[in-house]
Amino acid sequence: MVKKAELEILEEIAPNTFMIRYDDKKFLATKSRSKPHYGEKKYAEFREWIPYRSKLAAMILNGYRIKLKPDMKMLYLGAASGTTVSHLSDILEEGVIYAVEYSARPFKKFLELSMERRNIIPLLKDASKPEEYAGIVEKVDFIYQDIAQKNQREIFVKNAEFFLKENGEGLIMVKARSIDSVAEPSEVFSRFLSEMEENFTILKHGKLDPFHKDHIFVHVRL
Amino acid sequence: MIEYKVWFGKIYKRNSELEVIKSDDFVESFIESRCEKLPFSLKEISLKIFPSEEEYYSELRRTAIRVAEIEVEKELKSSDRYIISLLKALDEIDLGINLFSEKIRDLEEIRTDKTTEEFRRIVGELKELRKDIERRISSEASKLMPNVTELVGGVIAARLLERAGSLKRLASMAGSTIQILGAEKSLFKAMSRIKKGKKAKTPKHGIIFQHPYIRTLPKKLRGKMARFLASKLAIGARVDYYSGELKEDLAEAVRKKYEELRG
Repeated sequence: MVKKAELEILEEIAPNTFMIRYDDKKFLATKSRSKPHYGEKKYAEFREWIPYRSKLAAMILNGYRIKLKPDMKMLYLGAASGTTVSHLSDILEEGVIYAVEYSARPFKKFLELSMERRNIIPLLKDASKPEEYAGIVEKVDFIYQDIAQKNQREIFVKNAEFFLKENGEGLIMVKARSIDSVAEPSEVFSRFLSEMEENFTILKHGKLDPFHKDHIFVHVRL
Repeated sequence: MIEYKVWFGKIYKRNSELEVIKSDDFVESFIESRCEKLPFSLKEISLKIFPSEEEYYSELRRTAIRVAEIEVEKELKSSDRYIISLLKALDEIDLGINLFSEKIRDLEEIRTDKTTEEFRRIVGELKELRKDIERRISSEASKLMPNVTELVGGVIAARLLERAGSLKRLASMAGSTIQILGAEKSLFKAMSRIKKGKKAKTPKHGIIFQHPYIRTLPKKLRGKMARFLASKLAIGARVDYYSGELKEDLAEAVRKKYEELRG
């Protein structure tokens, strides 16, 4: 007789976010009413959250946790085709995610996601020009940024100035190569961190290895 | 009085009074909205015209999706053509700059006067314009084809696009075709020689030769690098066309190959 596979919750990490064991497999997942979005598997109501695809999942699996509340308002810069946003949409069940992406092709796929989810406001805009969506986006509790661009720090600072509430938090995914393609990553990161300190309190930073090479996350508070 | 164009209409600020004029077409006002940092809370103000928060969000979401649908189609339809015509403009400006610079030299050999100074000023302005156009090409190219642009930079990416005609066609090309794109003339010359039983060398690279990773290598290694870069470009173009998401390992692999070859 075939043994039926069992699903077990090992740990609750954030709202609707769990470490799951299924058979011999241990993985991160979000509880979701929606169907898979980027080729991830769904076990019962749990959508696998793949760290190689999502830097936020990589950060969590590397042991760092941020506090997310179900009713948060979030501004997400660099939504791409919506891999990470899809999981945040599970987590911020009662919240709103204003998601900015400037490239039309991935945005097309992201738009499909926005239609399925009630809490996503899709914006085809350039994140370096917040004036173009200042009449649309309200003040938010959290800004998440994943845009591999040279001036990503300036873009984050500008958006925080426009939209981040006092004591609001931010999470920035930094790719060394896109800031400086020749310098040592460790140098690029320490320069980035010291510049961030001018405007924010840095709560934590860390590597995203082995899932994303030469990347760090930076968690800040205004 | 200050006017703020927000997605649901216009807000007028007189002294400290705020007046809201609701738009009768949210899609239109959403597209037109543009403002500096608001000195008031958008959400609070919205409740003057929306009966509840829930209705505010559902109207906002509906409008955002509608606008996004319109803009995505528009953008996808026009960006190939936009990049190609920017590139043509760039090439024509280069011609102009060269032509004028030559004329300046000719004139200065004879005499320097107001006319030559005027020429210099114009060339200076053309050079500025050239920089602007190049920046524009890079930013448009990284939107349309992030992977190809990451691999070879905006201008070379735009040249490949121009040769292929569209991203769709570039995405359907084999690496070996991309490798000699722009060197068709010498390829056909070599092929016709081979057909006649004569000896001939087929070209190693076309447009992509402009890339520093190829140009800076010793001659006998260039073919190898060109082949490798072209194969990654073929993958990149497909990812760009079908998903549009940046695959970071492509550029990484090319960089490693270059370092390995350079020794």
